[in-house]
Amino acid sequence: MATLRPRAIRTMPWRLLGQIAVAIFCLLFLAIPFVEMVKSMIADPQLLARQLLIGVTNGAYIALIALGYTLVYGIVELINFAHGDLYMLGAFFSLSLIGTFSLTTETPWVVRAPILIVVLIATMGFTAGLNMLVDRWAYRRLRGVGSRMASLISAIGISFVFQNLGLLWGYLRFPFMHGVMGSNAVAPKSFPALLPSVNLFAGTGVRFGAKDLIVVGVSVVLLIGLYLFVSKTRLGKAMRATAQDRDAAALMGIDVNRTISLAFVLGGALAGASGMLVGLYNGTAVFDMGFTAGLRSFTAAVLGGIGNIVGAMLGGLLIGIISALSDQYISTKWTNAVVFGILVIILVFRPTGLLGDDTVQKA
Amino acid sequence: MNTRIRSSLIGGVFGFAIALISGGFAGILAGLVAGLINGFSVPQAEPLNNRAGAVRQGLVASLIASVLTILGIVIRSVLIDPVIGTPLNIASLLISMIGALILGIPVCVIMCVIRTEPPARERIGLAIVIGIVLVTYPWLDQFLNLRFMNEVIPVLVFILMALGLNIVVGYAGLLDLGYAAFFAIGAYAAGMVSSPHFGISLSFWLAIWVAAAVAALFGVILGSPTLPLRGDYLAIVTLGFGEIVPIAIKNLDKVTIHIWNYPLLVNFDITGGTKGINPINRPWLPVIGEFSPSAPTPWYFLILGIMLISIFFISRLRNSRLGRAWTALREDELAAGAMGINTVNVKLLAFAIGATVSGLAGAFYGSYISAIFPESFRFDVSVMLLCMVILGGLGNMSGVILGGIIIQFADRLFLPQFSTVVQKLIVASGNVSLREVNFASDFRLLLFGLTLVLMMILRPQGLVPSGRAARVMPTADAEVSHD
Repeated sequence: MATLRPRAIRTMPWRLLGQIAVAIFCLLFLAIPFVEMVKSMIADPQLLARQLLIGVTNGAYIALIALGYTLVYGIVELINFAHGDLYMLGAFFSLSLIGTFSLTTETPWVVRAPILIVVLIATMGFTAGLNMLVDRWAYRRLRGVGSRMASLISAIGISFVFQNLGLLWGYLRFPFMHGVMGSNAVAPKSFPALLPSVNLFAGTGVRFGAKDLIVVGVSVVLLIGLYLFVSKTRLGKAMRATAQDRDAAALMGIDVNRTISLAFVLGGALAGASGMLVGLYNGTAVFDMGFTAGLRSFTAAVLGGIGNIVGAMLGGLLIGIISALSDQYISTKWTNAVVFGILVIILVFRPTGLLGDDTVQKA
Repeated sequence: MNTRIRSSLIGGVFGFAIALISGGFAGILAGLVAGLINGFSVPQAEPLNNRAGAVRQGLVASLIASVLTILGIVIRSVLIDPVIGTPLNIASLLISMIGALILGIPVCVIMCVIRTEPPARERIGLAIVIGIVLVTYPWLDQFLNLRFMNEVIPVLVFILMALGLNIVVGYAGLLDLGYAAFFAIGAYAAGMVSSPHFGISLSFWLAIWVAAAVAALFGVILGSPTLPLRGDYLAIVTLGFGEIVPIAIKNLDKVTIHIWNYPLLVNFDITGGTKGINPINRPWLPVIGEFSPSAPTPWYFLILGIMLISIFFISRLRNSRLGRAWTALREDELAAGAMGINTVNVKLLAFAIGATVSGLAGAFYGSYISAIFPESFRFDVSVMLLCMVILGGLGNMSGVILGGIIIQFADRLFLPQFSTVVQKLIVASGNVSLREVNFASDFRLLLFGLTLVLMMILRPQGLVPSGRAARVMPTADAEVSHD
């Protein structure tokens, strides 16, 4: 298993207090609605199946972003707060390229498919490069010098800078972009419907369109690629070694800074891909969409066991499904609160996540 | 000599910027501000009790600052005003320049003289000067026709909250990213008990205590699950609470609870949903009567009073046994526990006291704008408060106040006015493509973000570091040395 770093917990006697508080909270506010939810799920299995499939599609892109958190946290123990906003910038960049190539719904498939692949690769390159630059400029000099809080605060700062860049991006009106940014800078930007929306399960009452398949397919390919990279290649081995013990890795001749950069590059590329896929799938992108997506993905990474690559994929899938179910059975208004609630519950009861390893104690 | 010139330049740049952006008689205020900043930042004259030296130094420093301020006034009224449609008015230009000199130079000289006094008298002297400036400000504002009061009061509210956040983050070292939630809780608690919403109409003076108590209670409730967490995990969980609270407030407007088919509540409106709660009762005092929204002066003194009381209590707490326990907890939790500090209580007290301050701020703010909405307590408020604390200096109250003043004034006064001026200039120059850029709202996040990043890279201990941080920060943090 490609565990980057076994995450440890500290057992304290007073842990119990927090657990009791959360348990009471759960009983009071979650148990009763939960029973109602299960009842209505059983009543309409078709609807349930539809929501589950939506959840799988959401889970695919959440997993892509979650991997960025996991890779970086596994190596430098930094919650890269700006990661969600990087995903947003990926969506904006890909939209600009789509405008530049003037792709529309009329473009024939022979032309459209290769260009989309080029755009995907370019977007991944852009976000990867940006993430690497940010690491070099903002995080690297804090590594080892400042406290961990310092890097976290600077990551929050970068997140706000990215959001503002996204906002200003809306003002870009270059003639070669064919006006994809619309006339209002702050308003959501709309993507042309470039993916086919044929329903693969037509006639069964369950929706799983070709575009869902494309999103899931591309994500799965990228996830498998990343997994193979980390577990099989020399560079992947270097990453795992750096995650386990940075000093020892350095003594073994591994260029630690380059390896950390690599983690940022890989995570950034996945976030960019995810941004483009979501943009094409949902048809919109807003400059502040990174916050919610980032927090859901972070929850996914923590749920799976932060630092654990397979865990991030699993967590992504679970969070995708949970938020799709919550959208349907609770209310879209509450979904963010549900996801946060899950995050709090995991962190309090099992900070190592589902697949995390809690054998090593680290003070 | 070098540092002396640099510090007088700091005051000058502030004065220059205020005079340039705000225009009108704001130049006079700019002179005063430049003088104050100079008085603080000019290094102590050596040796102590060298009055003549101090006066000379104050004169030099304030002259440098005044020249810059006057430069700002002149550029504004001669170059910018005619372009944006206000004709050049020589009389008001002269009044501004002379006013800036009259207010700026004496303040700076007096402060420099005070700075040479022995520490105890120095502190009293500085307090008197600042007190006079604070107490006379409303009349100065009125006299100069600045109309800044409606911005100054929210600025003070936010500084009060930054002081509360400083307890949690600066003293106890618990990075709380959801602090705005307590502001919301305080505001809503006060709003619920002093408005027609529930039919309970307590006076403001009682509601503010209710708000403080409810906020403290929530500080403990939301703090207790985070007890086992450290560092970044704690940050994320508090962020989660900071998001859940506004979501809950927004959606708890139609609550229906059935207990075994017996309806306990049906479509019960707890928080008012997106409409919020209004109108909220305003404070009432014998001589003044009910505080009115059109006369900001009583509000100003009320929030100033709340702030002073909070500052007094926080500084007493800082030097108490509890305050030292917070420091110990921040530096090394394990060691603190081993030394017999009850880490649970100390942490929960940090959360509770921090939340109380925020609750007071919330109650005041709700009453001041007479309404509250769930949208005003989002993540960016928490981050802005964090910005203020970090810019000024973690764990140092005067630093936090300075950071708060800088960030808040930049956000509320400087950027909007800058934006208006730039817009008018753009319109005057006929450049259409930039017309829709709103420099206030479109660069706000960039300002906060860059502040955080640059401060962490260049000066992690803040502008005015606490004595301890100044000694500890340049080397390494205790937490890192374990790795």
